[in-house]
Amino acid sequence: MTLAGAPQSSDDGGTNSGSGNSGSGSDGAVGGADLAIEVVGVTKRFPGVIANSDVNIAVRRGTVHAVVGENGAGKSTLMKVLYGMLRPDEGEIRIGGKPVTFHSPSDAIAAGVGMVHQHFMLADNFTVLENIVLGSEPTARGALNFGAARRKILALSKTYGLDLEPDELVENLGVGDRQRVEIAKVLFRGARLLILDEPTAVLVPHEVDELFDNLRELKSEGLTILFISHKLDEVISVADDITVIRRGVTVGTANPHSITPRQLAEMMVGSELPSPQTRNDTVRETVVLSVAGLTVADADGRDIVQDVSFDIRAGQVFGIAGVEGNGQSELVEALMGIRPAKSGRITLNGTDLTRQTTRERRLAGIGYIPEDRQRQGLILEGSLWENRVLGHSDSPPNIKGPLIDRAGARRDTERIVSEFDVRTPGIDIPALALSGGNQQKLIVGRELSGSPVLLIASQPTRGVDVGAQAAIWEHVRNARAAGLAVLLISADLEELIGMSDAIQVILRGRFVGAADPATVTAEELGSAMTGAGSAAGAA
Amino acid sequence: MNRLRQRYPLRSVLLGFAAPIGAILFAALASSVILSLGGHSPGDVFQTMFKQAGKPTPFVDMVNQAMVYYLSAVAVSIGFRMNLFNIGVEGQYSLAALGAAYVGGQLTGGGPLHIVAEVVVAVLVGAAWAGIAGVLKVYRGVSEVISTIMLNAIAVGLGSYLLHKLGQSSGNNIQTKPISSSGQFPGISYSGTQSKIFGFLIVAVVLGFAYWFIASRTRFGFRIRATGLNEEAAVASGVNVKRMTLVAMLLSGGVAGLVGLPELLGQTHTFSQTAQSGLGFAGIAIALLGRNSPIGMALAAVLWSFLGKSANQLDFIGVPREIAAIMQGVILLSVVIAYELVRRYRLVLQQKDVAAQLATGEPTERAEPSAPVVTA
Repeated sequence: MTLAGAPQSSDDGGTNSGSGNSGSGSDGAVGGADLAIEVVGVTKRFPGVIANSDVNIAVRRGTVHAVVGENGAGKSTLMKVLYGMLRPDEGEIRIGGKPVTFHSPSDAIAAGVGMVHQHFMLADNFTVLENIVLGSEPTARGALNFGAARRKILALSKTYGLDLEPDELVENLGVGDRQRVEIAKVLFRGARLLILDEPTAVLVPHEVDELFDNLRELKSEGLTILFISHKLDEVISVADDITVIRRGVTVGTANPHSITPRQLAEMMVGSELPSPQTRNDTVRETVVLSVAGLTVADADGRDIVQDVSFDIRAGQVFGIAGVEGNGQSELVEALMGIRPAKSGRITLNGTDLTRQTTRERRLAGIGYIPEDRQRQGLILEGSLWENRVLGHSDSPPNIKGPLIDRAGARRDTERIVSEFDVRTPGIDIPALALSGGNQQKLIVGRELSGSPVLLIASQPTRGVDVGAQAAIWEHVRNARAAGLAVLLISADLEELIGMSDAIQVILRGRFVGAADPATVTAEELGSAMTGAGSAAGAA
Repeated sequence: MNRLRQRYPLRSVLLGFAAPIGAILFAALASSVILSLGGHSPGDVFQTMFKQAGKPTPFVDMVNQAMVYYLSAVAVSIGFRMNLFNIGVEGQYSLAALGAAYVGGQLTGGGPLHIVAEVVVAVLVGAAWAGIAGVLKVYRGVSEVISTIMLNAIAVGLGSYLLHKLGQSSGNNIQTKPISSSGQFPGISYSGTQSKIFGFLIVAVVLGFAYWFIASRTRFGFRIRATGLNEEAAVASGVNVKRMTLVAMLLSGGVAGLVGLPELLGQTHTFSQTAQSGLGFAGIAIALLGRNSPIGMALAAVLWSFLGKSANQLDFIGVPREIAAIMQGVILLSVVIAYELVRRYRLVLQQKDVAAQLATGEPTERAEPSAPVVTA
């Protein structure tokens, strides 16, 4: 992987997804010296997955540089590499033109790189001052010297318009204030480059505006900001440059002044996805799953899914679109019986499932592809055939009375491996050794076994390669044609539109509108998901 | 690909032996170094120990001790399989032995049923005591490590209170009423010594077999394994983890209840404050050493018992017998480390195999660059 360190190197990331004009970002040539930080050819692998592959980013000094990508595109991994939490397998990071190696976040801090985490790391019972100095307490002859720290914090607050009150307890602060404390904490340690991980995820709109004002202030003082987000309108409003990451690869840069959210979305999602097949209608009359007035509460007792109702028919793929964290996961867990329903009814083929256990629901014919396959869908240390039994330890071919039918399970695993093209040297190796796409094919094969009547598929192709993705779609389509009802939840809007027979948009736990997959576009759906374009594509 | 397939089983077998053999060699080496540093000849020490273990009386003694260790290790390992750390085997078996001794002493006649009653009481008491920790964990989220440690302390106090209440004094000692002959478990004679091997050996062997069968062949065992390896996935696949936790705790406690019985039913026939203690903690070490496998734990129990019993003779050649405790510790650490090293190495090899497999298939993925490496 040889790459010239030119800032324009992103152009050879290729696949400029047809977004037209806006391919090249930085205006004019920028010399290496003007770059605050440069990421050159960084690759990071985890067992079985490549999280980052040849990522190239050039961040100009004194700018806000946004890194955008879908969930699972590899943004977080990249950020951890930049902050010294992970070491890249290949490639290098250059600061001010010089290659640097970070062994830990303290190395990154020493090099002037600071990170503001999405989830605040503050002690509630400490004051703003105490929180900011925590971990780098200034001392004078061995004693804490809060006087010097206070002066420094007030100076920072004034210079960057952070509006800090050093003696206020953090527990009395609002979310926006807490974020400013986090930013001050990083500045206090001398950061010249700030990495902000999804900073707006927790903010309400006017707090977002305040944050952006702060960022402009920081920028005007010569600091550089790396802004990680998947909210395109925000990115376009605040960033000077944009780098797009898709499936762990930098696919290009964009100029926020000339690109539209739609074009940016196309770059993020990519256009190489196999386009939806001709939509031959397989929807039948029979209602398989009927959900009425379902409300689900989270651990704190808040209603995270509110009064949701829908029917899925045999042969129908029912898609749910929504920004992550709007209740999709909880809805799925309630349908699977992992999380109790607070109120409402869940009926499968006329049988009330609302009070049944997960096991009974599985036996009733629900297949389940969980959103996080490694955490919820596999025993990583178990062999492939043991993973075939997982979740199906009550039904043939895996059982013989109270015993596990090893021979039967093994035979059926061999069948899945060949039918679903799971690339593996054998069925006795642990699931851990497979790549992400092959793990997912195994799960899909398992969940489509034993003729289920309903398949709940959460992010079924997240983080898998294009080949596996197409294969998984094909299998789901075939099952649909055979009369399977499918609930599809996906962050990949192309997938959602291409696969679904009907789409509902979920926002803050409620269904806020239907979309017709035959006519709706990804960006209409995208804006409906954020609540902005209200009636977009509504049918 | 054929070469890969052929190579695979052989490699797997070799790797399987690498860890235990490597660990024992390393432990022997480390012990020798420690002995030499103390000015003793390792050769003499090992020779003395083996000679001692070969004599009939110490041999029987060793087998009996290993049996008890084994029961304790099985009890601990049932919890381990579910990621439950039952530190409370100690308290569970001492209360269970007291209960069995008391009930056994009260009964007379009844033939084999007498023994059955004693065993049932011991299992129930052990399960109940462990069950307290299980209930606290499931319904209140109390870590079983903390609660079982505390229950051990309570068991000590409760045990001596009950012994005073239920026992009778005999000289300086307080003990339960001796169990009559029908409630005694007959021993197995061994030529060359008056000592007998505890008949409870049969129970231990049957238990080991049942343990293996349930863990690796039944649906119940599969659910235990799934829960232990990935609780979240187990929940998603329909395992009632709370119930499994409680059941595992009860089973672990029930088996723990058996730990005091070989000695009680085979030798002392009465429970007193001089009953052997510390078996629960030895069980933790042996379960770790035996990697929760029925055979592995049996070997580990024999090794542990061998080191402990044969060391008594070392005093006669001027070597402190505590050297055995050091060897036990060194072996345990070596085994744990060796298995972890082999596990990681095996994983690397398997990933290379997968990469090789991918490389021969159509190149759909951004193939692992390490793929071409495996051409041998």
